[in-house]
Amino acid sequence: MNRRKLLSLLGMSPALLMGSGAEAQSHKKIASSNGIKSAAGEIEVLNPKGTPPAIQLIPMAPRLDTLDGKTVYLVDTGFEGGGFLLNQIQIWFNKNMPKVTVVFKRKAGPYAEDDPALWKEIKEKGNAAIMAIGH
Amino acid sequence: MVTKAFKDLAILNAAKRGMPHERITFTPHPVSGKTPDELRAYVEGNDPVSGKPMMMEIVDALTRPLSEDEKKTGMVPINVGPPSFKDTAVNLQEYFLNNGMTDFLPIILPTEETVDAMLKSTSHKPDEVCGKMAAGAYPPWEFTVKQVAVNAVMAGCRPEYFPVVLAIASSGTPSLFSSTNSFAYAAVINGPIRDKLNMNYGIGALGPFAQPNATIGRAWTLLSKNLGNGGIPGDTYMGSQGNNLNYNNAIIAENEAASPWTPFHVQKGFKVEENAISLFRGLGIVPGQGARGTSTDTPKHEEQFSDLFSVFTGFFGGLVIADPLVAVSLKSRGYDTKEQLIAWLYKNTTQSVKDYKSRDFAYGFDYPRALKGLEPYATWYKMPDDAMIPRWPHETDINVVVAGGQTNAFFQGGSLSYTVSISIDKWT
Repeated sequence: MNRRKLLSLLGMSPALLMGSGAEAQSHKKIASSNGIKSAAGEIEVLNPKGTPPAIQLIPMAPRLDTLDGKTVYLVDTGFEGGGFLLNQIQIWFNKNMPKVTVVFKRKAGPYAEDDPALWKEIKEKGNAAIMAIGH
Repeated sequence: MVTKAFKDLAILNAAKRGMPHERITFTPHPVSGKTPDELRAYVEGNDPVSGKPMMMEIVDALTRPLSEDEKKTGMVPINVGPPSFKDTAVNLQEYFLNNGMTDFLPIILPTEETVDAMLKSTSHKPDEVCGKMAAGAYPPWEFTVKQVAVNAVMAGCRPEYFPVVLAIASSGTPSLFSSTNSFAYAAVINGPIRDKLNMNYGIGALGPFAQPNATIGRAWTLLSKNLGNGGIPGDTYMGSQGNNLNYNNAIIAENEAASPWTPFHVQKGFKVEENAISLFRGLGIVPGQGARGTSTDTPKHEEQFSDLFSVFTGFFGGLVIADPLVAVSLKSRGYDTKEQLIAWLYKNTTQSVKDYKSRDFAYGFDYPRALKGLEPYATWYKMPDDAMIPRWPHETDINVVVAGGQTNAFFQGGSLSYTVSISIDKWT
């Protein structure tokens, strides 16, 4: 499933997100595959869904014009295997883009715990970061 | 970078956090357990989603100028549909099922009348905010008392059960969680409300033999889906195998009258006459039978509990669910309180440091804590591999409840951590 379809299912308006004329998913009309329809037997039921928060869009960080001469942080979040994959990426950079300085870091704390000290270090000493998530 | 198995989750979670265009490069899945040569092949190969060379895609993601969409700010509302739906009962059943609003079993359709009847069982206003819930790492959804009532009706709850469902909902604890580990959930109910609702804590206490036990737990799962947006495979649910307990969770009414020990809610600070529900989260429940020494005059249930727990990861707590016959036997052998039994289990259920360190939970959660100097993890990680350490970090990770009909000295063990106790009375 592509990103546009996924975001539509989420209930995010593609019109707002994508700059297109598409509309967000609507539940106004109930489409039934069994074809049973009788106005006389209709009942009204309540939507069981909760209320999601609106999403505050965050503009992405400006990109670099080149990685040459720049410092790229590789951040291991702690999911098993992520660190070993990043080791191979570090080897790839050293071999194929030797002008890039690569710094490997294990994020402090369990997967979902914030690590403000590391983010501060990356902002001060790095130019870009790659995080590895998944196992 | 994200492994391919988490493609939808990664895109959607980034969107929920405000970056619907986050540049994500995917690798084949899994990366764990792979050799350096296999991982090198991943790195030198293609992104399995885009089909493009992985490293070139990473370099491109870091250097390609931003599009206008990627620079956007502002608020984007999320559409969850109209307040109500109108159609035939058959079509509505199908609509709810096809749109992920059920547990794929038939529901009671939530009409205004049935929901109003549910709302009469609480003094709280229908539009009062009851709580917030998220089943993963995304901003939580908010819900009102009335929205909880809609889900309670769908689950088949009678109106008098509603305060229990509200107590669960108010905790913000989903019974479905995004972890790949297929979490299970349980709740222990204490107080006079057990009898008022005709809950079953006797024969078949954990089985499908009483409406409140069955439907309160079902409501927990339905509200986790509908109010917390949980249970969407690939998005908010990633449990690799799923968990059968998720249908209606393990709702355990403690058999307080037959238990020789203090009721669970009293252990947590409630009075005996108060009503409370205590929630647990973990991996599941397994049966234990045939306590060592049962054929002699010295059955040793505590040793059997310890054997059972030795196959559990220590990341989640241990929950003993003992039939009253077991509890009475243990008391007769000197365990006057649950706490004494727990102390024995903590001391005698051990593991080697080598085994402990090899667990994925230890690597992902405890090792970072050890690096921060948190105990006992810091000490455990300094010990030799052959040293023996407790199965759990703390004695409080073990809990004991009593339920059952005394037809057998049976017990079950939960790989389940206690999380919170909530007053039911507060929601009447």
